[in-house]
Amino acid sequence: MAKTLDKDKEKYMVQYGEPVGMIAAQSVGEPGTQMILRSFHLAGIESTISTSGLPRIVELVDAKKKPATPVTYIYLNKSISKSFDKADEMQKKINEVVMSNITRRTIENFTKGTIRFLFNRQELELEGLSPKQVATRLEKHLEVDAKAEDEKSVTVHMHTKNLKLIRATTVKILKSVISGIEGAGKVMIRKDEKTDEFYLVAAGSNMEGIINVDGIDKSRITTNDIFSVYRLFGVEAARNALAMELKKTLDEQKISVNQRHLYLISDAMTASGTPKGVGRHGLSGEKNSVFARAAYEETVKHLIHAAAYGEVDPMKGVTENILVGKQIPIGTGSVRLTIKKEDMAKIKSKKD
Amino acid sequence: MATLKKGKTYLYLNGRIIGFVEDPQKFVNEVRTARRKGVISGEVNVAYIAKLNVVNINTDRGRVRKPYIIIENMAPKLTKDLLEKLKSKEINFNYLVRNGIIEYLDAEEEENALVAFTEHDITDQTTHLEVDIASIFGFTINTSPFPEHNSLARHAMLANFTKQAEGLYATNFNQRFDSRAYLLFYPQVPAVTTTAYDSTNIKNHPSGQNFVVALSTYYGYNMADAIVLNRAAVDRGLGRSIFYKTYSDEERRYPGGQRDRFKIPAPTAEGYMGENVYSKLSDDGIIEPEMQIQEGEALIGKVAPPRFLEENIGAGGLEEKVRDDSTVLKTGEKGTVDSVILTESTGATKIVKIRIRSLKIPENGDKFASRHGQKGVVALLVPPEDMPFTAEGIIPDLLLNPHSIPTRLTFGHLLEMLAGKASALNGAPLDGTAFTDKGTDRLEQYGKILNNYGFEQNGNEVLYDGITGIPFKAQVFTGVVYYNRLYHMVSNKIQVRSRGKVQILTHQPTEGKARQGALRFGEMERDALIGYGASLLLKERLLDQSDKTEVLICKECGSFGYYDHIKKVNVCPLCKSSSFSEVEISYAFKVLLDEIKALHILPSVKLNE
Repeated sequence: MAKTLDKDKEKYMVQYGEPVGMIAAQSVGEPGTQMILRSFHLAGIESTISTSGLPRIVELVDAKKKPATPVTYIYLNKSISKSFDKADEMQKKINEVVMSNITRRTIENFTKGTIRFLFNRQELELEGLSPKQVATRLEKHLEVDAKAEDEKSVTVHMHTKNLKLIRATTVKILKSVISGIEGAGKVMIRKDEKTDEFYLVAAGSNMEGIINVDGIDKSRITTNDIFSVYRLFGVEAARNALAMELKKTLDEQKISVNQRHLYLISDAMTASGTPKGVGRHGLSGEKNSVFARAAYEETVKHLIHAAAYGEVDPMKGVTENILVGKQIPIGTGSVRLTIKKEDMAKIKSKKD
Repeated sequence: MATLKKGKTYLYLNGRIIGFVEDPQKFVNEVRTARRKGVISGEVNVAYIAKLNVVNINTDRGRVRKPYIIIENMAPKLTKDLLEKLKSKEINFNYLVRNGIIEYLDAEEEENALVAFTEHDITDQTTHLEVDIASIFGFTINTSPFPEHNSLARHAMLANFTKQAEGLYATNFNQRFDSRAYLLFYPQVPAVTTTAYDSTNIKNHPSGQNFVVALSTYYGYNMADAIVLNRAAVDRGLGRSIFYKTYSDEERRYPGGQRDRFKIPAPTAEGYMGENVYSKLSDDGIIEPEMQIQEGEALIGKVAPPRFLEENIGAGGLEEKVRDDSTVLKTGEKGTVDSVILTESTGATKIVKIRIRSLKIPENGDKFASRHGQKGVVALLVPPEDMPFTAEGIIPDLLLNPHSIPTRLTFGHLLEMLAGKASALNGAPLDGTAFTDKGTDRLEQYGKILNNYGFEQNGNEVLYDGITGIPFKAQVFTGVVYYNRLYHMVSNKIQVRSRGKVQILTHQPTEGKARQGALRFGEMERDALIGYGASLLLKERLLDQSDKTEVLICKECGSFGYYDHIKKVNVCPLCKSSSFSEVEISYAFKVLLDEIKALHILPSVKLNE
């Protein structure tokens, strides 16, 4: 069995000189043209409407630092994952609540040196918070003198009348996280109908923060933010995540592309150790050849750089060889003589 | 701006707010009543848009308006009494408009109306009645018979084909010098007409002919929108047309007293094209009518002053230096000089207009279309003896592939075949206006006519194979269809090239038919060859068949060298060395390096042995 597999292995291997990159590009590009025409949205069904279709592909391929709609899927430990109460508890723990989300009005009293935050009580109730909790949180994290004086507001006593300081503190407090994990975004509870499990969906991508919360199944947490995966698990994981996200986006539109192509793209993007886009700041911008770079974008910039630093074009790529009119080193053109004719004669004579 | 008070509606006049209305419906009704009475102009349209809480009055120009019969108390105001008077020409259409029986609605007021198609559709909600139900289609679609049996996509195509049809576009075509004109020989009025033909002048300007069509395949020659024509019919003038093209030139005046002159250029003129080119011109430099002319031959001989002034200065000779600026027949064209006129422009300069006529007999690749958005390209002209024929000896003019019908949903085409056949037998045109069947069965009606003349009532015929003489196993649906010849013809479009002109700057082949150009091997084609790994084929396309050049590259400094023809040595302009390598590169690359040099960057080429 192993022998036959080993024998067949070569049969299925890509041949030397095969322009895999061009084939991958064409294989993704051609169905991509259909995607523009059929860019419909399934509105409402999934409450987290994430970018999909061509914009999402562009976002992935350009290796954007932050996706337009980050989503994190958080699974709970098997022991607690079937209980809604536990899931609800976890949701409260993770769900990011920013002060400005629950504040209805801010009243700065510059003569007394106080800032009063009037809450939107519905929001407050929804997040399961009380003004007292908010006040203690503010005291703890921002080291301000905060007091919950009634059921609908918190007052911060600044003990100073410095206008600038009061205004700066107001802004700081409004931006501060009251509960949950910073960058986790809004968290919702979902139920997996197949396994009866509850899991959480967060509209943020701070995996580094979320993964340390107790009760989370660290092996199953996923996100659509490639860089979050990269920071937490490394390039290999980022490569996988990238290929998977590409596949998911294409599958959504019922476009079937062989995953080898997607893996090739992800490989090329992560080969340097960090995810890099394919555009002018990524792969294309790092080509060895001056001509290939100049032919793509920012022609003058590359020519001037080449002139200033005395760059030499090794003429090893496709673009530059087409430009000068040489046979391209791909496919049938990738075969080269490694021994000179004269040297061949020497080898023969030795044998004789 | 005024603010809205509660319970009031904005009132706009031609898009500008002019006030508020308290009861919009009442207001709108009052305006309409006044309009119908003739108190205010019939061109005023008013619409109440409840959703936006707005009343719009429109009186400006540029609105498309359509007449409707007004309905009052569930009865159209156009009574039988009035209809009789209309028929006896006691009153006319304008009378009806003036007396509030028919009114014109614009797009906005139509939103307030509920229009019934026929009198039977009238309910208590109905406000208007269509004057003619066929008017829900536009004019072009109404020239097509039975449009209610065709799909909308085909209507859209028909609208395009109608514009492209050849016919009798103007009766004074003989006096006209259109830059391009097409005229059909023997245009016919269709066998199946519609009311659109009666209500307009198009019967005097028909643009097609009635073809005998059999819905049959012919050895695969009419696959996928190809059509097969009977050569005998074509020889007798079916689909034959004439193509007129006008060339013109002017004796222009230039500052400095110089001017162009119509004459046969002397061989000394700059850009002289050779004696043969001007051989058909008469002494005045202009071609005579009824001369046969081929591509590359001059129609108008003209000499012009040189483009740049300094060329004349210092010449000193007695003879004025001139440049040949003759008009030559374009590549791929030929024909007969139909008419020549010599006249004067407003600037008092001489103008020549020459109309060339060429005969266009249907040939392989010419385009035809019926009035149902069914287009086809001639793929074969079959000799009459090989065409299928009926028991009466009728040979169809055109064989249409039956697969063209079901997927395109053009059942009107089938109906026209049947009706056309019936009308041809009857000797009188039949009416195919939209929605005019009025409950009667059209198939039955036409079947009866066919039966009367001894034909199958469903239009089928026993056809005999023209080659073997054996009848086909299946009967073939045969009828008469009105076909248009569209002006896309191969003879005007065909172009081939193997070698030819190149551009000066890049040494690459030219583009476009007018310049004898090549077809572009573009970026995506390049990608396909790379993807296939066919590196030598790619090199051949992009270098050997394009802008290959041999250059000398200095072994010392890597710059381009040149061959000094006097000293008979290779020279490097930079380092004066004389050891060179001959290298094949694309000329575009040489241009690139030259332009980089122009940017004060010195590129050098290093070569491996």
